[in-house]
Amino acid sequence: MLFGTLLNVPELKQKGDRTMKRTNQLNRREFLAGAAAGAAAVSFPYLVPSGALAAQGRGGANERLTMAHIGVGGMGGYHLHDMVKRRDRGEVNIAAVCDADENRLVGAVKTAGKGVQPYRDYRYILERKDIDAVVIATPDHWHAVQMVHAAECGKHIYVEKPACCTIDEGKAMVAAAKKNKVSVQVGSQGRSQPEAYSAHAYIANGMLGTVRKVTCWHYASPVDNNPVPDSDPPAELDWDLWLGPMRWRPYNKRYCHGVFRWIMESGGGQIRDRGAHVMSNAIYFMDADNTGPVTVEATGILPTKGLWDTAIDMKVVYTFKDPDWQLIWNQPGEKIPYFDQEKRKRLGIRDSYGAVYHGDKDKLVVWVGDDQVFTELKAVNYKIPAGGKQVYKSPGHKEDWFQGIKTGKKTIMNIEAAVATANLCNLGNMSLILGRKLRWDPVKQEIIGDEQARRMMGRPQRHPYHL
Amino acid sequence: MSISNLKEMSLAAGAVAVTAGTAGAAKKKAVDELIANIKDKSDKVRADGLLNAGGVGAPAVKPLAKVMDDDDFEVGRAGKRALWKIVRHAGRSRARDERRAVAAELTGLLGDDQPTSVRREVLWMLSEIGQRRSVEAIASLLSNKELREDARMVLQRIPGRQSLAALKDGLKSAPKDFKLNIAQSLRQRGVEVPGLACVKLVPTKKTNVKPVK
Repeated sequence: MLFGTLLNVPELKQKGDRTMKRTNQLNRREFLAGAAAGAAAVSFPYLVPSGALAAQGRGGANERLTMAHIGVGGMGGYHLHDMVKRRDRGEVNIAAVCDADENRLVGAVKTAGKGVQPYRDYRYILERKDIDAVVIATPDHWHAVQMVHAAECGKHIYVEKPACCTIDEGKAMVAAAKKNKVSVQVGSQGRSQPEAYSAHAYIANGMLGTVRKVTCWHYASPVDNNPVPDSDPPAELDWDLWLGPMRWRPYNKRYCHGVFRWIMESGGGQIRDRGAHVMSNAIYFMDADNTGPVTVEATGILPTKGLWDTAIDMKVVYTFKDPDWQLIWNQPGEKIPYFDQEKRKRLGIRDSYGAVYHGDKDKLVVWVGDDQVFTELKAVNYKIPAGGKQVYKSPGHKEDWFQGIKTGKKTIMNIEAAVATANLCNLGNMSLILGRKLRWDPVKQEIIGDEQARRMMGRPQRHPYHL
Repeated sequence: MSISNLKEMSLAAGAVAVTAGTAGAAKKKAVDELIANIKDKSDKVRADGLLNAGGVGAPAVKPLAKVMDDDDFEVGRAGKRALWKIVRHAGRSRARDERRAVAAELTGLLGDDQPTSVRREVLWMLSEIGQRRSVEAIASLLSNKELREDARMVLQRIPGRQSLAALKDGLKSAPKDFKLNIAQSLRQRGVEVPGLACVKLVPTKKTNVKPVK
């Protein structure tokens, strides 16, 4: 670990009593740890240098965060594999895995090995006092509810993107994180990629001049060319639990798994799936995490057959004020091939989505946006001059989260930024399905003047799966 | 009244009737065209039909509800898409008359003569454009076991005193297994509900999967 390691002091694990909000009452062990860590530990009294308690390169059992995984398919499976490796390196413990699909749960238990408890119902995990943090990788319609519940139970949270499906969900998530003082990292890991740092530094230091327009491109959403009638759910799937907060509908094979992305009520289509990556970087580089557009206008083509109902093609224009600029989501838009085709093939660079930053002096292309971010050599080779604007360099997306847990610092994809990103995606979809331009108040985070759209800012949730 | 006045009045009334009749015929034609287009096998014809659905408005609501119940599930989906298009179009600002007309037609589809699946979808359409005039019909479904949860959520979403009152009345008369649901809605609307605990964090579902030994 780059930073010191947290002491495992039992009284710190109670609900609502997170390390970052403790004030004056250090016990002797904490005091010594603070002294050993030096001046920085005065601000962060729970840090202990990694080597102080255990063999170098491997933390002692007491300092490890104890994790649980909620949702272990797709991205959830990736996170579990990643966390198993971290466990093997002595960084974390894994206490539990959870899924509404018993087949996936069986697989996860095998991956995680001994000492890991399987659950169907994530609320059993939230009850456990020994679990410090959860990784939530369930379908999108669950993200807000599970995140809020986890926060209310005092767990730190890594939740997959998009943060939320509605405006009101986003507000609830921000409020829950703040009230319960938990560290939240949202899975738009593009911000933590090395070349995202390069692009950010290049733009932030004015190398493009004033950027007035950012144009994204992303390939179209798929169409459901194989529609099937509703049917009984498979024996291994708890359909009620899979649906969770969404309104009731009969099971259909075309809802899951993975293809929930093409359901407006859940995945929201490419704009909410990958838009949550590409536009996350856009608002980060443009220093717009804490604001939003004033108007949103979408046009596009919606499916005319099948179960899936998200936009096939789409264009959304977001207009920001003070400073004035536009963000344009184009689906498909005009693809810009990566400049080094040999490297593209060698590294498997997915240049089928990305963004162009148009300044009055120059422009910059940033390809991909999630676990890959690549940019032009002029930015990769750029060195911030003395006196230039420093931008944060992430140690890695999970590492950044761990630091957030241990020190209380805001993560790179904190819940406020993630909600700002998700709001762009959700407003884009709303404008499209309503067939009209929306006016947005970025301070109050409300739609202005459109009663129907205002009602759609929230969505009542099925009992008991509610915020 | 003179004969010439009578003649004038009669001509005028006739002109109105013809105009109304013509307008009525035009609306029927638009509805028939919409239905034919959305059922068409061609993607392009269906897309064009959907694009223009909003403008057809209230006269298409009941015919489209019938299409939603078609034996061919894809035809049913097409009917649903078209009806949602009308609902979203009618919800525009300054389209109060259109919205009221569509909402009135939708409210008329909540009776027992309609299939559950249609009524469920109609409830959610009303959640977006329904007003106080729809509340009574929606509230009557709080006693329908298959639809009560949707009705509850829809009442939660529709602003105003009537929907809130319907939820409060619903709480009084709800069976025990549904009181917590309504309590949730009331809390979302800012009403305290003592005596009915929130159970959102209470786990209930066990797994059959065993840990690795």
